[in-house]
Amino acid sequence: MSTRISASLVVDDNGEIACMECGHALGPAGAPWKKAARLSETPLQGSGGEPYSNAANVLLRQFFCPGCAALLDSESALAGDPFLNDVVRL
Amino acid sequence: MGKSKSKIYVVATDVGGTCTDTIVFAPGEPLYLGKALSTPPNFAEGVMNSIRSAADTMGLSFAELFAATSLFVHGSTVVDNTLLTRDGALTGLLTTEGFEDTLLITRGAYGRWGGLTEDGIKHPVATERAEPLVSGDRICGLPERVDYKGAVLRALDVDATEKAVRYLVEEKGVEALAVCFLWSFYNAEHEHAVREVIQRVAPSTYVSLSSDIAPVPGEYERTSTTVINAYAGNIASLYLNNLQELLTNEGYDGPLLVMQGYGGLLPANEAAGRAVGMIECGPAAGVIGSRYLGHLMGDDDVIAADMGGTTFKVGVIQGGEFDYAREPMVDRFHYVAPKIEVVSIGAGGGSIVSLDPRTNVPSVGPRSAGARPGPICYGQGGEEPTLTDVMILVGYMDPDNFLGGAMTLDLERTRTIFKQKIADPLGLGVEQAAIGIFRIAAAQISDLIHEITVERGLDPRDFVLHAFGGSCPIVCGIFGAELNVKRIVIPYTAAVNCAFGLVSADIVHEYSVTKTLPVPSPATKINAIYESMIAEAQAQLAKEGFADSGTAFEWSIDLRYGRQVHEVTTPVHGKTPLDESTLAALVDDFEALYERKFGKGSAYRAAGMEMTMFRLTARGLMKRPEIEKMALGGKDASAAKTGRRPIFVDAAGALVESDIYNFERLTPGNEITGPAVIHTPITTIVLQDKQTGHLDEYRNMVIQFN
Amino acid sequence: MDPITFSIIRHRLYRVIDEAVITLKHVSGSAITNEGHDLMVSLYRADGSLLMGGVGFLHHLTSAAEACKAIIRRFEGRINAGDVFLTNCPYTAALHTSDVYLVSPIHYDGELVAWSACFVHVYDIGAMVPGGFSPDSRDIFTEGFSSPGLKLVDRGEMNTDIMDTILNMVRAPEMVALDLSSMIAANNVARERMVALVDKYGSKPVDQACQMLVDQSEQSFRERLLELPDGRWESRQYFDIEEETYRVLLAMTKKGDTLNFDFTGSSPQSKYGINCAYWAAWGGFFAPLFPLLCYDITWNDGVLRPISMIAPEGTIVNCTRPAPISLATVGAIQSVNNAACICISKMLSASEKYAKEATAVWHGSHFAIFMFGQNQKGQEAIGIMTETFGGAGGGRSFADGVDVGGEIPNPIGRMANVETTESHFPVRYLFRRATSDSGGPGKYRGGTALEYAIQQHDSPDGGINYVVSGKGTKFSMSDGLGGGYPGAPCNFRWVHNNEAAEAGKNVNPFAMSPEQMTGEQESISWGVFPLMDQDVLYVRSDGGGGYGDPLMREPEKIARDVREGNVSEGVGRDVYGVVLDADGDVDAAASAAARDAIRAVRLGQKAAE
Repeated sequence: MSTRISASLVVDDNGEIACMECGHALGPAGAPWKKAARLSETPLQGSGGEPYSNAANVLLRQFFCPGCAALLDSESALAGDPFLNDVVRL
Repeated sequence: MGKSKSKIYVVATDVGGTCTDTIVFAPGEPLYLGKALSTPPNFAEGVMNSIRSAADTMGLSFAELFAATSLFVHGSTVVDNTLLTRDGALTGLLTTEGFEDTLLITRGAYGRWGGLTEDGIKHPVATERAEPLVSGDRICGLPERVDYKGAVLRALDVDATEKAVRYLVEEKGVEALAVCFLWSFYNAEHEHAVREVIQRVAPSTYVSLSSDIAPVPGEYERTSTTVINAYAGNIASLYLNNLQELLTNEGYDGPLLVMQGYGGLLPANEAAGRAVGMIECGPAAGVIGSRYLGHLMGDDDVIAADMGGTTFKVGVIQGGEFDYAREPMVDRFHYVAPKIEVVSIGAGGGSIVSLDPRTNVPSVGPRSAGARPGPICYGQGGEEPTLTDVMILVGYMDPDNFLGGAMTLDLERTRTIFKQKIADPLGLGVEQAAIGIFRIAAAQISDLIHEITVERGLDPRDFVLHAFGGSCPIVCGIFGAELNVKRIVIPYTAAVNCAFGLVSADIVHEYSVTKTLPVPSPATKINAIYESMIAEAQAQLAKEGFADSGTAFEWSIDLRYGRQVHEVTTPVHGKTPLDESTLAALVDDFEALYERKFGKGSAYRAAGMEMTMFRLTARGLMKRPEIEKMALGGKDASAAKTGRRPIFVDAAGALVESDIYNFERLTPGNEITGPAVIHTPITTIVLQDKQTGHLDEYRNMVIQFN
Repeated sequence: MDPITFSIIRHRLYRVIDEAVITLKHVSGSAITNEGHDLMVSLYRADGSLLMGGVGFLHHLTSAAEACKAIIRRFEGRINAGDVFLTNCPYTAALHTSDVYLVSPIHYDGELVAWSACFVHVYDIGAMVPGGFSPDSRDIFTEGFSSPGLKLVDRGEMNTDIMDTILNMVRAPEMVALDLSSMIAANNVARERMVALVDKYGSKPVDQACQMLVDQSEQSFRERLLELPDGRWESRQYFDIEEETYRVLLAMTKKGDTLNFDFTGSSPQSKYGINCAYWAAWGGFFAPLFPLLCYDITWNDGVLRPISMIAPEGTIVNCTRPAPISLATVGAIQSVNNAACICISKMLSASEKYAKEATAVWHGSHFAIFMFGQNQKGQEAIGIMTETFGGAGGGRSFADGVDVGGEIPNPIGRMANVETTESHFPVRYLFRRATSDSGGPGKYRGGTALEYAIQQHDSPDGGINYVVSGKGTKFSMSDGLGGGYPGAPCNFRWVHNNEAAEAGKNVNPFAMSPEQMTGEQESISWGVFPLMDQDVLYVRSDGGGGYGDPLMREPEKIARDVREGNVSEGVGRDVYGVVLDADGDVDAAASAAARDAIRAVRLGQKAAE
């Protein structure tokens, strides 16, 4: 029985954080899962059409499931700022 | 062909959401009432059924009735219903280029929270705008621009207009077009030019111009109003034409007058072009009816309260005048047609009683059990306790004798479910719990009336309360006492109050000119503004057959303090045209009205004053039908007594055995001392302790406080 | 207390607030109050704790409690029936000097039973710049009249020396006097109704009912917190002022039935007035907390009890005096608001039951543009451009964000009609519409934002000036949720048509988009600027954050978005992977292929570490 911990992630029977879509495991519950995801880090400017054109040096980080490519989370970041880390304690 | 009888009858029929009611007036005869179920979407059927029901009580056939009818007055929810069911025309919108999104973005969140209760507003994630009547792909912006003075900055591009009209009608299949340009109420040239193009290129399209329908400032509300009018225009027009035809076929050849939301009538051909004017004409008729009845009884300050199955509605008449709604809405759309102010809450006979799952605190409504399944006691499968169920548990209704014996009520099942769902969780006996819930409902109603009186600077103690609708006469003894009103009147026509209102209305045409003038301004300047409105009104009323002596003109002017947003429509009470002294009196009246509405000390003279709108109300005075006054007999009502049973008496906080009466056996002059219950075929009247009811010469039940 | 009596008293307490709000709106007739609903009226218990919060600007519900408590401390022993106190000092309780609190004790039979407190953003407060937002202020001393607490009305009598002093220091004193009168009136109504309530039901029952109201809120809120999983969620807001970049960091921790908001690591306080003080930060996260977590719970001190905050001194969320602060309400408070919205929504998303209450950020920037100058009639005019209240909704787990749908801390705001603004200010709009592609992409996209352009029209002296305090132009402050993109950032441009005309070009007076404008477009974001002759000010607001994966958006929805102008075909294809045919309908095969291609690119990315 998997338990939901975010809009896109669950904790599976093995106590691992997993993709809600395909079940691909991303590491033990409570640990930072983003390290196990595929990361796209591109300038926010140019990522979404004309209204994003005046964004400055901020990046759009997108974390994808290595199993099915589902977009698991995203964050805005200046280069070098750490990943945001969410921990759900079930 | 028999000889023609003289035309003595006035027939009034009001189509409501559930019922279609008729009143027939005949001089020297009592009022004849008729009722039938409303028949959406072909409401005309219900209209004819309702008239036939009245004719039956008169012992006349349709042909006989109509041959002797001089006037047919009508109000209908057909436009409200079209909006509710989203059954209107495929509509397009032409507007100023650059401002195409005005209708859709509703001034931001305004359209998202408008019409919601505070509970809804506190939960923004769960809110949405209503689906707009025109989708974005049926809106075209046209090159044109007028400024705040009405000056043309950019002439209308007629070629672009033609292209847009062809696109909307031929490619998008649009059936009706609304036209609204910025500042068109100061300069309507461009809108007129667009209409010309549409009539040339796509003549069968229904057209509404904002400068015709709502020539007032505020482009969002003006656009919304014009769109609603275009959307429902054809349906309203077809409906009235069809009704006219049906009546003609039955032998009626008189005028057909149609009620508007501002409480006046328009001839059918005028009303057909102003669908938006018919919105909420029912409640408006109710307030008008109350005003007339109050006037007959010598009361010009009336609180008109109507409690039906789902909602409790109230309007206020002060000195014979009423307020217009400030930011009117229909369904969840804003619009700006003048509309009599009626406020409401979800508290009616069918309102569901529930306990908050977390805190166990009880509340009444706003959810309703409707007509189906309805209250538990109706035995139609209702499982949730409603206010009607509470009323039967506190002894106000006779389970064996509901609706004059038409229906029996399941008291036992009601008691069982109420005990399980409400009384037990509250830790109270069934009766105590029912009493408590009843008091909550009365308090909520009291608060609503407080909102429309005390919060507007009016004192309920100066008012008479009129109680309409199936449930109001049951509760009014409690909230009326709490508000300390002068007395309570349950009108004989309570069941068909809106129809009664129809025949107490005049033909009313509303005109307005938007213009900003400083105070003071010369009276001559103001009089000049009114000249063209008066000329137009006189011509229109003459066309409708009114001699000058049968008309009345009322002026009112919107004023505000400099750079403030709040405008107050101030009636001109002096002679017109204005002179310096009547103008000075107007300014004094404005200040008094402003302070009354907005609180003492709220007037800020240092900011200066401006006049922003000049309004003319032109009346074609209709003969008020006479209501037969019956002879007043003795006070002894014992012939009407049918028995005794325990009923809830508020002062005692418990059920107390009291007298029960049958209304039909009462005669004018009879007096009943509370506590007591009087059953009528359509409602129940409850007299509380220290209240005396007497039946007056119109067969109204008048309740005095001792 | 029996539940019936409680139900009735509670309903009547709601009416006390309602009536006071109506009075406030009725008397004060300025646009910022009437359209933007930049006001609040609430009831407080005798000790100053929040009893019942009204639907006004939600940042203020809790800071007004602190204002009551500050007044109680300062004036202990000298608080009488009929007094009205004023405080607008941001280092005491107010959010910035423009938001003036009037706080009135409510006595019954000589005993203090409650307080009512209200605020409006007054017409002017005597700061460096008209309207109260002063981008050039470097300390609190140039931000206008400010008091930690004074008695404005003494037992029903106005202290005219104090009133005259305040009015002596502000522009357009007659308008400010009206603002203050409206607040006095609102408090009077609250007092009268509260006294009537106590009169009818008795002091003890009313006090009992109030206590129950607060206890019930606490109990209900704690129960809800226990239903949600424990955890720690992070959010980070960037915002830009001129050459500086600021961070507001938030780590929200829920443990059992308590919730902690920790802003450790946020930037040190700024030389610009976008800082906020301690109580503003506290109020800033309650603005999303009330509607997101307590939508069916009465907003009062009971909701505050399970909450704690860490806001290190000397940071932009807890600045120290005399740091400038006049732009707090469009500055750091907004970032607090947005960061809290994301953390709370992430917590809600961790629950099957409450996932539908989560939302991406709405109108993260909440910038303000004030205009000042002479109006068409030569009178002094100051006012906010109300378009900021148009806002943009954040995407949700079941629906898009509402286009131009408002903002969370301002439940019943709206913007003025174009015709209203054009009649009060010497300006003409060229256009005003929703902006395509401004909503953050997602399975459920963020709501689109407004764009508009104005130029002067019929100004007696050539034009007007405007004050821009626009953060969120370089970064997007409307964060997405669950993978959704942030909404597009805002943009302000000074279009130099006058220079173009001087150089001999024909200026297009009816440009329908920035592309059609003649003069050079200079991006601006901060300061006081002129709007003269043919120059144009162009403003594009920030879109709402998106929710979820754009590749999961139903293709039919993109077809409709494109048809209605909310998403461009290019973005539909490149970001959402939806391809439309020549008729604008979904080409299912091409879309499937496009989405597969995007997924392949995703999988081809390197691992995050």
